[in-house]
Amino acid sequence: MTEASPNAAWPLRQRSFWLVAPPLLVFVVFFAIPVGTLLLLSFNAPNQATLRPEANFALGNYQHFFDEELFTDALTRTYWISLEVTVLSLVIGYPLSYLMARTQSPRWSNLLMILVLTPLQVDTVIRAYGMVIIFGDVGLVNSALLYWQMISAPIPLMFNDFGVVVTLLHVGVPVMVLSLMGAMQNIDPALEEAARSLGANRFITFLRVTWPLSLPGVLAGSLLVFVTALSSYTVPRIAGGGKVVTLSTLMYNKIQTNAEWQLGAAVGAVLLVTSLIVVYFYQRLTQRSIGGLV
Amino acid sequence: MSEERGLGMPVVFRFGAIVALSFLIVPMLIIVLAGLTAGGYLKFPPEGLSLRWVLAFLGLGPGSYVASTGAAGATTVFIRAFGFSFLLAALSTLASLALGTMAALTLTRHDFPGRAFIQSFFLSPLMLPGIVIGLALFIFYRAAGLGLSRSFTGLLIGHIIICTPFVIRTVSASLYNFDLSLEEAARSLGASPLQTFRQITLPLIMPGITAGSIFSFIVSFGQFDVTVFLAIPEQQTLPLTIFDHLRFHSDPIPAAAGIFAIVLVIVSLLVTARSGDLKAFAGFGKT
Repeated sequence: MTEASPNAAWPLRQRSFWLVAPPLLVFVVFFAIPVGTLLLLSFNAPNQATLRPEANFALGNYQHFFDEELFTDALTRTYWISLEVTVLSLVIGYPLSYLMARTQSPRWSNLLMILVLTPLQVDTVIRAYGMVIIFGDVGLVNSALLYWQMISAPIPLMFNDFGVVVTLLHVGVPVMVLSLMGAMQNIDPALEEAARSLGANRFITFLRVTWPLSLPGVLAGSLLVFVTALSSYTVPRIAGGGKVVTLSTLMYNKIQTNAEWQLGAAVGAVLLVTSLIVVYFYQRLTQRSIGGLV
Repeated sequence: MSEERGLGMPVVFRFGAIVALSFLIVPMLIIVLAGLTAGGYLKFPPEGLSLRWVLAFLGLGPGSYVASTGAAGATTVFIRAFGFSFLLAALSTLASLALGTMAALTLTRHDFPGRAFIQSFFLSPLMLPGIVIGLALFIFYRAAGLGLSRSFTGLLIGHIIICTPFVIRTVSASLYNFDLSLEEAARSLGASPLQTFRQITLPLIMPGITAGSIFSFIVSFGQFDVTVFLAIPEQQTLPLTIFDHLRFHSDPIPAAAGIFAIVLVIVSLLVTARSGDLKAFAGFGKT
């Protein structure tokens, strides 16, 4: 009871400041320093014997990267696929999140939430495999079409860009729905009703009221989906079947198959740095247009 | 469902919502069906149901897949991998809860120069490719020569780095609405800092802790990208085992494994739904 005074809580708050020290230490040692090491290594000349960075820095790996079509193709393909997935996730996810945000009954709301969260949380390897079962050459779609004799040979729906995009959509749509819902829950239905009672039809109401008010969710969700698609290794690996080369699968091949540590590190660095640049400028841009998010 | 609020749910939206829900759910059902098929793989028309692949996953059926290192016939690759992933996820969740809660307490209660920077630093693993984080750790372990390369501790650290941001986000969210005068009252009534934390703070931030634990458990349990470069020789995780199996076999044992993974996720979501509102996940992202 010696400390009992109205300000007794203050020392607790003072001490709680240092609670950040242990997690910060872990993150500096096992996150910042490793990423730094990877970046340093990417500036070393190829040397299969070691993957310790040496003080002999040069741009050779990056020159190699931008000179060889395999690498630049992977770069453009990665970004193009991510863009497609983002736009399609928005189109597919928007109506569902609107329905979810407007569902009042807690029962229905929880049910819908579970239906969206389950595919999001089941691991990606299993989900990608599910897509292969459906769209693969001996998959359900092809075997049904063959059975009904609508086709004579399987249509390639998997192990190409299409398969990768469809499988990434299965990851992207739930992420988009959750982001959109965050913004849509805050739209007062009275605003839409006011617009309608003043004579606007549904389309105009949507265009002038609902859409602009949901924009923070659209922008936040698009960034998350884009970055998720960009980062994915599992999906291009399984749904691409080794035929769709993205930055992440290319990096894996350089490291694991060829032990080209320095070149692999450079591919990783390109993926890392370009996605950081995208995130940075996107946030600058969206901060100006809607005043901050994410 | 209450209708006629706001736009009153146009037909296009209704239709779109059904399409989106089917797109999300049908593949899950297909995985369950494939795991229960009687045939060698799921095709059209289906060949009836059986439990043979589920039993094979559990190591009980004739199709079982006996681990080369395990006791002969007793355990199989899949069920052992399931147990290992479960253990790994439990340990990384515990560590992430401790680290994440500590970080969240400082980040929400103190204003100091660089606070925003440190916050983005802690959350950045969410935005970066898991496989690059895994490779960075792999290079670091090998370069530093600490013996962490291809070790359980090294793998665990990788999982902790990607799970902690989820805990920081969920716990911070419950701390923002926290009334500090409750802690002050407890302290002025003579409670020690630790007592105050256990009896006042902890119960009040429990929804954040529960959501954070579930998220980090699921993220670690299903993790593939970060694990690829950190995998250890003695024991593979479930996602890696499934991936390897897919490369060399066409039987649907992975789908049987999927049934267990789907059940695990649904159970954890039902638990969350009971302890709080699932809508707390709105605005949430990447796994």
